[in-house]
Amino acid sequence: MGPLIPNDIIPYEWNNVIAIIIGIAFGFILESSGFSSSRKLAGVFYGYDFAVLKVFFTAALTAIIGLLYMDYLGYLDISKLYIHPTYLWGAIIGGAIMGVGFVAGGFCPGTSLCAVAIGKIDAMIYVLGIMIGVFIFSEAYTLFEPIYNGYFEGNITLMDSLGVSPYWFVFILTVAAVVIFALSDQIRKRVKKVFY
Amino acid sequence: MVNRNVVKVLSFRYMILAAIFILLAAGLVLLPKYQKHEGIVPEKLLSNAINPQRYISTDKLADVLINQDPSYLLIDVRSEDDFTKYSIPNSVNIPLAKLLDDDNKSYINQDQYNVVFISDDNFYADQAWMFGNRLGYKNLKVLKGGVNEWYSTIINPPVPTEEMPANDFELYNTRKAASMYFGVAYPDQVAKPVKVEPKKAAPTQVVPVKKKKKLPVEGGC
Repeated sequence: MGPLIPNDIIPYEWNNVIAIIIGIAFGFILESSGFSSSRKLAGVFYGYDFAVLKVFFTAALTAIIGLLYMDYLGYLDISKLYIHPTYLWGAIIGGAIMGVGFVAGGFCPGTSLCAVAIGKIDAMIYVLGIMIGVFIFSEAYTLFEPIYNGYFEGNITLMDSLGVSPYWFVFILTVAAVVIFALSDQIRKRVKKVFY
Repeated sequence: MVNRNVVKVLSFRYMILAAIFILLAAGLVLLPKYQKHEGIVPEKLLSNAINPQRYISTDKLADVLINQDPSYLLIDVRSEDDFTKYSIPNSVNIPLAKLLDDDNKSYINQDQYNVVFISDDNFYADQAWMFGNRLGYKNLKVLKGGVNEWYSTIINPPVPTEEMPANDFELYNTRKAASMYFGVAYPDQVAKPVKVEPKKAAPTQVVPVKKKKKLPVEGGC
């Protein structure tokens, strides 16, 4: 049956409409759960708030568990889903730069737009910074091009490259996640509380 | 007043949620595994199989060959011996047993060409079609009647009798023309060597030209 759009159950033209609706819902929930606060987001690096870690880790695991169940029951063909291609060094360097920006600015790109929507000035500056970064990247594209397009590994997943059964992989990851959540709670109790 | 038992349970809410989470993930591991079938679902295969569009007629094929349509790929699934004895022009021989070899898969697993399977009748070609369709390959067709039908319609078309409608005569003419394209010679079409009779020399009238007699030199001047 699924995925709905590749199987023509929903016409292709609805793609963008659905994306906008999901985007609005995503932004709304991000904002209402406090993710437009740079102090809350940066808390994961200083150890006084692990909401970011917990939310995104849980979201990813919930999604993959749900997908695997739906695939098992035949509601969804998991092999038809889009897998983001891996450009190894591009991802590593880009990830490091984004991490630095996350600690320094207190936002990730999505949450910064959320915070702009509720009128936070620091987020506006942050988005301006993103724009400048995009501008520099585009202007110096020929310089970055070998990294941007190089080290291409194809549309691989961890399960493929490790050669393990997806079910075991997800199970181990879930247990690991719960352990990490418990540990992060221990850390949070020891760190001095910050009010924000 | 809030029920104390509820409060007591709710104080463990993160533990409970974590336990549910792990249980769901463990469920995935513990589920009995089954072999998923690759390719299209049986209902789709059935609807493809009963669809007459999967056949291509010999007349259409002749048309394709004569017009040199590059979008058709003819695959002969008969044995190599049969293929060497007689084959439809421009066809490629992939015996049915070797159809799914890695080297040959690229011929049928593509969406650029219309692949036409050919065998003596439809039988083996249908099997090849079924395999390919089951695996989800696109644009597969079967030559209706196979090489036998090809022979009895295009190469050696039945001559219509007098009481048959005009369409049959037209069809016969088309097929006859097609067969001539594929190298069949018809006695009535063979250009007879026209005897060129040596031209009779037209009786020539000899007109004697009287030569001027040289006149004797006369004195004068």
